[in-house]
Amino acid sequence: MSNGAAAEFEAKLKKYRINRAEHEMITTLLGHEPQGIEWALFSALWSEHCSYKSSKVHLKKLFNKSRRVLESFGENAGVVDLGQGERIAFKIESHNHPSFIEPYQGAATGVGGILRDIFTMGARPIALADYLCFGEQSAPRMKSIVDGVVRGIGGYGNCVGVPTITGQTEFHSSYNNNVLVNAMAVGLFGKGERVFLSKARGKGNWVVYVGAKTGRDGVHGASMASESFDEDSAAKRPNVQIGDPFFEKLLIESCLEVMAQDLVVAIQDMGAAGLTSSSFEMASKGGVGLKMNLDDVPLRDPTMSPEEILLSESQERMLLICEPSKFEQLQAVFHRWGLDAVKIGEVLDERVVELRWRNETICKIDPDLLVENCPQYQRPYSPWKAKNRVAGSSDVKTGVKNANEFLSSVLKDVRGTSRKWIYHQYDSRVGAKTVRDCADSVGIVRLPESGRGLGVILGCRPYVMRWDAREGGIDAVAYPALELAAKGFEPLAVTDCLNFGNPERENIMSEFVASLEGMSATCENLDAPIISGNVSFYNETMGQNITSTPSTGLIGLRDTVSEIPVSEFSSDGEAIYLLRLPMVATGGATQELNKLPVTGFGQLEPSLIGAFTRLVRVLADYREGGTLLSSTRIVGKFGLAYALARMSMRGTGCRIDVDKLKAARGEVSTDDLFREHMYEIVVTAKKGREQDLEAEFRQIRGALASADLLPIGRTGGQKVEIAGVLDYALTDIQNSYKTGIWA
Amino acid sequence: MMKRKCGIVRFPGTNCDRDVFQAVEMVGAEPVWLWHADQFIAKEYDSIFLPGGFSYGDYLRSGALASRAPVMKSVREAAERGIPVLGICNGFQILTEAQLLPGSLIRNNHLRFNDDWVGLKFQNTNRFFAGALRKGTNAKLPVAHGDGRYFVEDDELKRLQDKGQIWLTYEQNPNGSINDIAGVMNEKGNVAALMPHPERAMTEWMGGVDGFKFFEGDLT
Repeated sequence: MSNGAAAEFEAKLKKYRINRAEHEMITTLLGHEPQGIEWALFSALWSEHCSYKSSKVHLKKLFNKSRRVLESFGENAGVVDLGQGERIAFKIESHNHPSFIEPYQGAATGVGGILRDIFTMGARPIALADYLCFGEQSAPRMKSIVDGVVRGIGGYGNCVGVPTITGQTEFHSSYNNNVLVNAMAVGLFGKGERVFLSKARGKGNWVVYVGAKTGRDGVHGASMASESFDEDSAAKRPNVQIGDPFFEKLLIESCLEVMAQDLVVAIQDMGAAGLTSSSFEMASKGGVGLKMNLDDVPLRDPTMSPEEILLSESQERMLLICEPSKFEQLQAVFHRWGLDAVKIGEVLDERVVELRWRNETICKIDPDLLVENCPQYQRPYSPWKAKNRVAGSSDVKTGVKNANEFLSSVLKDVRGTSRKWIYHQYDSRVGAKTVRDCADSVGIVRLPESGRGLGVILGCRPYVMRWDAREGGIDAVAYPALELAAKGFEPLAVTDCLNFGNPERENIMSEFVASLEGMSATCENLDAPIISGNVSFYNETMGQNITSTPSTGLIGLRDTVSEIPVSEFSSDGEAIYLLRLPMVATGGATQELNKLPVTGFGQLEPSLIGAFTRLVRVLADYREGGTLLSSTRIVGKFGLAYALARMSMRGTGCRIDVDKLKAARGEVSTDDLFREHMYEIVVTAKKGREQDLEAEFRQIRGALASADLLPIGRTGGQKVEIAGVLDYALTDIQNSYKTGIWA
Repeated sequence: MMKRKCGIVRFPGTNCDRDVFQAVEMVGAEPVWLWHADQFIAKEYDSIFLPGGFSYGDYLRSGALASRAPVMKSVREAAERGIPVLGICNGFQILTEAQLLPGSLIRNNHLRFNDDWVGLKFQNTNRFFAGALRKGTNAKLPVAHGDGRYFVEDDELKRLQDKGQIWLTYEQNPNGSINDIAGVMNEKGNVAALMPHPERAMTEWMGGVDGFKFFEGDLT
C-alpha cells in the first residue's frame, strides 16, 4: 500500500469506527475487501450500540426465564403474561449522549424511541418512567441541561398522551460531563390482542415504510453513542435527532389499528441505525431476504445519498411487512390518520439483503453477517472483592454532629428535597388509569379489564454502586423489589439499562461483571427475570468515567388496587414498627453529603432478599377484613430520621420510643439515625390490627430467622420526636422539603 | 329508558378521548366517536364532548387548527340548537378558538407545563353539566396543561361576571388565569368548558370522585 492509500485506509477505519481486526474479519466474511456502502453497514451494525459486542458474553448469563415470560431479549421489548388474558410489554433504554449534547431533543426522542419499542409489538403504551442522573449545580451548563431534559421528556410524553407515573433523579459530580437519561415504557395487551414480532416472513410479501420522511438527522448516531466524548462533542449536535410527538401519536393509533385488523405480518421501528438495523434485523430474525429500492424511501431532501438514507435516525418511522393483498386496506388506515405508507421492497426466499439505488444493485449481502457475526469480546476484568468495609456497624461514621441541623440541611439539598419541581411538568394521569403517581414511592396503574394493580418502579442507587459494585447491583433489584412488596405487589420481571464507562478499561469491566452477577442472583431469588433492556458503554468524557449505573425498571402485580398502604402517616395513635432484615450498615448518601467516602459493614445475600421480599408482600397485601398495614416506607438514603420525616410530611408526626428503638437496632445515636441498614421498612399497623400483624409475621417468618418486626413508637403530634436525639417540627419539614429545587 | 347518546370528538392528537369514553360509560350513557374530518347530525346527540390532548400537535396555537376542522361545523350547529357541549382542557382551547366561548387560553404564567390536583369553586350553577354541583360548592380535580391561563379583556370579563358565565375558579391559581378562572360557559349555559380533567376523577382509586357529576347530564 502506498503512503497515500495507507492514510486513506486509516481515515476510513476512523470514520467508520472499525478497527483493524474487525476489518480483517469483515474481509474474510465477505470474501472481499468491504466496498462502498458495506463500510457504513458494518459500522452501524457492528457498533457497540447495535451489537453489544463487549457485553453479550455476560448478558447471556443473566437470569431471564420464568413461567410468565413470553418474549425476552431479541425482540423490541420483553413481554410478560399477567394471566387473565392480560400481558405487558416493557423496556428501559438510554439516551445519554444525545441528551448531553442537545438536552431537549435528546430526552424527547429518548421517550419517543422507547414508546415505539412498545407499540411496535402491538401493546398500547400505558406508562412512562424516567431514570435521570445529573451533575452538580456548579458544573457548566448543568442547570440548563436539567431544564432541557425535563422539558423534553414532558414535551414528548404529555403530547403523545402516555402518563409518567414514576421516576428517579440522582445528582453527583461523576455525571458533570455525561448525564444519564434512561426512559422506560410499559404497554398493555388486552384480551385477544396479538403480540407482533419483527421476524420478516413470506416470499413476495411487501416491505412497507410508514411514518415521517427520512432526513439527515441522526446519521451515524449509533456509532456516536459507541465512543467516548471529547471537547468536540458540541460539534455532534447535528447528529442528534429531532422528535415530533404529534406524529408519534398518529403512528401509535394507526399502527395499533392495522394490527387489530390483522394487516401486519411483522413490524419493527427504525431506531438506532435507522433503516439499516430494522431491515437487516427483520431479515436475519426471519431467516429470509429482502430486496429494497432506496429510491422509494420518502425523503425530506432529494439530494440524500444512499448511505445517509440507510443510516438516518429520523424519528417516528416504522418498517413493516404486509401481504400484497392487504396493502390497500393498510394504506387506507394510515391515510385516514394523515400518514403515508409506501412500498419500498419485497421479501425474498434467499437469505440476502439486496439494496437498489438508481437502477443499480449497490449491495447484496447475507444479513446474518451483519447481525449474527459481529465479534464478541471478552474484555479483561478482575473478580469481585469486597471493598470499603469497616469492622462493625458502629464503625460506619456518617459525620453528622447535630441531628436536627443535618435533617434540615438534607431536606433542603437537591439530593433530599421533593422532586415535585421535576415531575409536575409531566402529565401523570392521562389514560385515566393512574392510581399512584410520582408523588409516591411506586407508580401504579389499574388494569382496566381485570381491575388489578400494576406497579412500576425504578432502581439503582449510584452511591451504593460507588461503595461496592456487587452490592450496588444487588441493591438495584432488591430495593425497588422491596418498594413494590411494601405496597403488596409481587415483583414479576425486570428491565435494565446498563450505563457504564469505557469497557476497554479493566476497572469498568470489573464493575460491570460484578454488578451484573449481583443483579442476576437477586432476580433469580425473586423469580423476577431480566427480560429486556440495553447497554450504554463509553459514558466517558475526557477520561472521566461516570459512576457505573445499572438502572432497573421493575413491574409488580397486585390483585386489587383497594387499600394499598400509603407512604405517609395518616392518623394518630397507630403503632409504628420496623420490619427489618439487617445485612449491611452503610453511611451511603449521608457520608457523601458530608463529603466523606462511602463505607459499610456486611454483605447483601440475594437468597435472604428473595425470602424477605415475599414476606413483606404478604404483610402488605389486601386481605378479607382489610390490609393490615396502613403505611409503609423503606428506610433508604439518609437513614431512619429522613424516612420518618418523609412519613410525617402530610401533617401527622410520630413519637419514637428510645428504649424500643435501642432494642430493635442495638444502638440509638446521631450517627445511627442517618445510617442505612439494608433492609428496613417503617410500617404502621391499622388501628386494632397490631396483634393480627404480629401473629401473621410470626406465622409466615418461617426459616427467615434474621427478619424481625419490632415496635418502635406511635404516630401523632406535630413533630418527629426521638427523645434526646431528634426533635423536629412538621412545619419545618414541610417548608424545608420544598426548597432544594433548581428551577 | 334510552341511554343518553354522547358524541366524543376525536382530532388527530386528541389524547383524552378514550378517557372521556370510559367516563361516559361509567355514568351509564352511550359514547359515540365523532371524527374530525366528518360532520354529524347534531340533533341525534344528547351531548357533545371535546376531550383534551394536543389536537394537530397544538401547532400554530393550542386548539387553533382544530377549531377550523369540518367536524366543528356540526359542533357549532349543536351549540346553536342548545345541545350541551363540554370542552375539557384542549377542548376548552378549541371552543375559545372557535369563538363558541369568550376569551382565550395562553401560556401558563410560569411558562411550564403543570400537572397537579387543584381545589375548585363553582361560581355559578350549570344545569347541563355537573348540575348537581351548585354555586358555592367546592371540588377537587386534576389539571395538566401548558396553555391554561385564561384571559379576557376587562369589559368582557365584566360581562361574564354580570351574566353569570364564570363557572369555576381555582382556589390556588396554578397558571395565572385572570380572576382565577378555571371554567366558563356561554349565556345559555349549554356550551361550557374547563381546564381541569373531570374524567380523571371518577372513582376513589383515581384519587377523587368529583369528576363523575360532570358526565351525568341534566339532572334538574
